[in-house]
Amino acid sequence: MSQKVAIVGAGITKFVRRAQETGKELAWQASKMALDSCGLSLKDIDSVSLGTAPDAFDGVHMKGEYLSDGSGGWRKPYMRQFVGGGTGVFAPIHGWMHVASGMFDTCLVVCSEKMSTCYPHPQGAFLTIFDHTTEQALDPTLIWIFALEYNRYMETYGLTKRDIAPVSVKNKKNAMDHPSAQLPMDITVDDVLNSELLAWPVNRLDISPASDGAAAIVLAGEHAAKRITDKPVWIDGVGWNLDTAYWATRDLSYPRYVEKAARMAYDMAGIKEPRREIEIAEPYDPFTYKELHHMEGLLLADRGEAPQLLADGVTQRDGDRPMCPSGGALGVGNPISATGLMKVIEIFLQLRGEAEKRQVPGNPTCGLAQAWGDLMQVGTVVVMRR
Amino acid sequence: MGLSERIERNVDLSYFEGKIPVNYVYTYGLGLEKFFNAIKEKGEFLASRCPECGAVYFPCRIFCERCFSEITRTFKVPGTGTVYSYTVCHLDMDGSPKKEPDVVGLIEVDGTEGAKFVHFIDAKPDKVTIGRKVKPVLKAKKDREGGIFDIKGFRQV
Repeated sequence: MSQKVAIVGAGITKFVRRAQETGKELAWQASKMALDSCGLSLKDIDSVSLGTAPDAFDGVHMKGEYLSDGSGGWRKPYMRQFVGGGTGVFAPIHGWMHVASGMFDTCLVVCSEKMSTCYPHPQGAFLTIFDHTTEQALDPTLIWIFALEYNRYMETYGLTKRDIAPVSVKNKKNAMDHPSAQLPMDITVDDVLNSELLAWPVNRLDISPASDGAAAIVLAGEHAAKRITDKPVWIDGVGWNLDTAYWATRDLSYPRYVEKAARMAYDMAGIKEPRREIEIAEPYDPFTYKELHHMEGLLLADRGEAPQLLADGVTQRDGDRPMCPSGGALGVGNPISATGLMKVIEIFLQLRGEAEKRQVPGNPTCGLAQAWGDLMQVGTVVVMRR
Repeated sequence: MGLSERIERNVDLSYFEGKIPVNYVYTYGLGLEKFFNAIKEKGEFLASRCPECGAVYFPCRIFCERCFSEITRTFKVPGTGTVYSYTVCHLDMDGSPKKEPDVVGLIEVDGTEGAKFVHFIDAKPDKVTIGRKVKPVLKAKKDREGGIFDIKGFRQV
């Protein structure tokens, strides 16, 4: 690596079911907030990395080009990348490459998503990510395939839905303190279990919503970062990994690809004992069970042990290992790429002690954000320290 | 790969049909909603100027892509302009001939310091020339819906 990379500024729009703003207007709002937060203007930005999920959501082909003006890409080295739901944590990894390589001193990383354009629902767009020859005719939905994974996770470790539903209770409660939140709620485990059944074992309150929203961060190289802020948060480790596209052939009870991504990031950050050193985390939680599944893949819990940590309160904001203090995808909302970046921003704010009502106690110094996506086979991980 | 050399029509291969089953409902966004509402309600054309760097945008926008400043104010322009370039389209989307060819023009809009706008030009193909003055032709007010076809096109003057 040519230089260390820090996050120096961040911005997020509200996450909502339907935004009147276009995707590019949302991108501009978040980007402008991120620049204002660190006192920079667009002319201070050397390169721009845009993360946004499939074009089919916005109904705009070549969405990267479409979103470029709102993302600050005008006459700059600008690149779009995406790995489905993992995009929001891959975008900062991509921006990190721009700066760590020494090619640029500053990079604006923007994630924008407008899922409400799909009518009647984005599941119509999701359908064609499945193999068109063997699977599409069965009318798979994302809920359908994750229900298979959820069920296998319970079966492998002898768990029940009651063991997993508290993730929803915790995250939606945490979201009550997040100014961007779409679904903040004070609910009980019974509320989750009694909510509308979508595809067993997935109920309505087990799942994150479709959302519109955008998030952005400013990355800076070592010297630039110290000029810009007294409180840089360093990206000390990055990792990403892709499993087989034949999703049905995998061991659905354990996300091996998340483990490989995590090990890559831990090695880079010099982390030997993740459970001791990672004090706070934002695992990707589009479904209740995924927070637990991902904690295990991230080596923050033994296999099958995450539900016990949840039951013991370890993952609460005031617990020993807080998970999704933001409120996560379940509470804040899930505008695909923007969700992952929202998680990175949450760790950034927590490590700076600027998370306001969401602030976890104990002045954490090291945390991680993780996202997951493509055809439930990609893991993306960023480890941060102040 | 051999098959594709001998079989010219894809439907002569073993096949099944598919589609991406989704429709789209787009919002105009904050910038364009203001633009189209002004046309619909008042027959007026709105441009905007960046308060920081002075860049002019037509149609009006809510932010400047060059310096990222917020743009809250708009100003009226007459909607007239000059033909900057044009083409004449003879074939449809699927390659079949159109009944009448369409003339599509790029219009440099008066009062916008060179902003350009694309729309149809209502003229015979052999009568269009670069540099000619044009004016917009709007639908009758009762027929306007707040979208791009409230402007029927531009006519050379």
